[in-house]
Amino acid sequence: MREDKLTSLMLRRRRFLQGAATIGGVAGLSSLGLSSAFAQEPEKPKELIVRAWGGSWVDALKAGVSDSFTAKTGIAVRHDLTEDNEIQPKVWAAVAQGRVPPIHINWDTTTNATKSALRGVTEDLSDLSNLKNTTDLAKPVGLDGYPIVNTYGYVYVLAYRPDAFPNGAPKSWKDLLDPKYKGRIALYNDGIGFHFPAQVAGGGKLEDIPANMQPAWDFVAKMKEQQPLLGEDPDFTTWFQKGEIDAACTISTNAREAKKNGIDIKWIVPEEGAKFDTDGLWIPKGLPANELYWAKEYINHSLTVEAQQIWLDGLGLPGVVPGVNPPADLVDDPSYPTTEDAFKHLIRISSKVQVENESEWFSKFKAIMQG
Amino acid sequence: MRAAKSAYPLTWRIMDALEAFAAFVWPARFGRAIPWLMLAPALLLVGLLVLGLWLIGDASLRTLDTSTFLMSETYTLANYRRAFTESLFAVVAWRSLAGSLMVTAATLILAFPYAYVMVRTSSPVIRKLLLIALFLPFFIGQVVRAYGWLIILGNQGMVNEALSLVGIAPIRLLYNYWAVLFGLVQYMLPFAVLMLAPALTAIPEELEAAAGSLGADWLRTFRHVVLPLARPGLVGAGLVVLTLSLTDFAMPAILGGGSQDFIANAIYDQFFRTSDQGLGSTLALLLVATGSLLVGLVFTLFGAGTLAMGRARQ
Repeated sequence: MREDKLTSLMLRRRRFLQGAATIGGVAGLSSLGLSSAFAQEPEKPKELIVRAWGGSWVDALKAGVSDSFTAKTGIAVRHDLTEDNEIQPKVWAAVAQGRVPPIHINWDTTTNATKSALRGVTEDLSDLSNLKNTTDLAKPVGLDGYPIVNTYGYVYVLAYRPDAFPNGAPKSWKDLLDPKYKGRIALYNDGIGFHFPAQVAGGGKLEDIPANMQPAWDFVAKMKEQQPLLGEDPDFTTWFQKGEIDAACTISTNAREAKKNGIDIKWIVPEEGAKFDTDGLWIPKGLPANELYWAKEYINHSLTVEAQQIWLDGLGLPGVVPGVNPPADLVDDPSYPTTEDAFKHLIRISSKVQVENESEWFSKFKAIMQG
Repeated sequence: MRAAKSAYPLTWRIMDALEAFAAFVWPARFGRAIPWLMLAPALLLVGLLVLGLWLIGDASLRTLDTSTFLMSETYTLANYRRAFTESLFAVVAWRSLAGSLMVTAATLILAFPYAYVMVRTSSPVIRKLLLIALFLPFFIGQVVRAYGWLIILGNQGMVNEALSLVGIAPIRLLYNYWAVLFGLVQYMLPFAVLMLAPALTAIPEELEAAAGSLGADWLRTFRHVVLPLARPGLVGAGLVVLTLSLTDFAMPAILGGGSQDFIANAIYDQFFRTSDQGLGSTLALLLVATGSLLVGLVFTLFGAGTLAMGRARQ
């Protein structure tokens, strides 16, 4: 019994000495002007879990952001490759049930992230110090504050195999209606990226979105006659590589990836325009305070010129921080808009309008394509 | 006089102690509860399924508010109205139903001779080869098998390469309804053979010999002896193939080129693409109801087959 008491006293004393030493150390550091750094840095977690897309997407994120973040902070970064659509209900359920969410940071489409923001499961990121260095593109359109930080933009280009267009590059989305391309075209299986240019190609106006999109559906119906393949990002690269398609409406990154793999492929922004959209990073609610802090630091780090340069070189996409240079193969490329003039040919619709109408657009596109 | 140790060995004493412990933990008067205890895991499992269905039923009566992405607090039949009135769901439902019926018929036609040869062959080598060929696909998942067909039937696949050798231009063999059905038949074949084999084994070979000795040729013997006696196996195999095909997701997704969705694909889209759990739940419940109705119809018309575990013969 006495021994127990003694041990307990010794432990308390040790703890006291440790605490005193810490306070003394901090006081000493304070005199060196480092107090603010320590005061702001809560305990570091062993790792941060970042949901990401696989293949070249996660490779680029790792090279540009995660590795340099680990080198800077000592915190390991684990990439969770669960599909963005599938992680969403898991995060929503965790927040609703008051559990710690399964990831620290979600790399997401802005449209998907906006749904989470509207549902109120995202942390506010307005206090990130590097936001002041970003362009307007970083700010999500139609939402208050920064529930998401957009990190780059991308264009749904018309990618094509030059062999299949012997008379020269296509100029319009209507060029795909040529009967010789029957069964040789690919679109996203929910029509994403195609709705808005279809509105223009079908003779409608962008201002009529979402009230009157009949011209878009008429054009989609014409495209249906061409029996397009419908898929997702990895499918487009595979289909080009396997010679299954001659043209596709796809994110330029997929076309560039196929080109890197040795496929002769080019892309354009057709005269009707092409959809421009953004991806971003966000943090789900429910993280312990220290993990939230470091998750925010990760996103803050992703907004540095150095991180953006390497990350977006890998993706071939324009970032949100001035000073990031396009990769050599994408200088003056329409899929890498850097000037105001280049943006004039691109179609950008508010994420809020998109998420509020997505279900209806999706159903109409599916009804036409599945019919 | 002290009893010899061998008269009541240590092992008996241990058994006595264990029995006493068992009687203490589970007294004899609890004996009538043993069957229920054995049923408990199954009841727990069914209970969880019922709970899941209850929650899905609850979600099916709520609509998605796209300004907050939360489900409505009030109940409504709006999702059911959408499911029954929107052409997309009618097309997908009809495609799934017709497809599963065609797959069931084709699979049974192909599985029957395979199972018959496997059961009746006198060569152990042939039987082993057929068994290996039957079980090998089980080690390869459905998705991998579907991707295998992409390699074989693609524009630059083995079949088109072979056709090009005789001067035939590449033919689009994939990404259509028939490709999906083909993939499903190939996937379902081992299930059907496994369900048919016990039923065919139960038919005495002497019956076929007797029919032959009475003058029946092979076709008449097959029609009037083998086929009626194999009915329980055909019904069991048919039910398994029908329900698995009706609810399949991977084959339409991979071999359909995005335009040949089955109901399961439509359910996935609602849950994971549009985040509309209400409509997704509605479609899921309707799929369960359709599958149950089909199974009930088959039970009514033909009995439960091998799934009745021999009761049908009494």
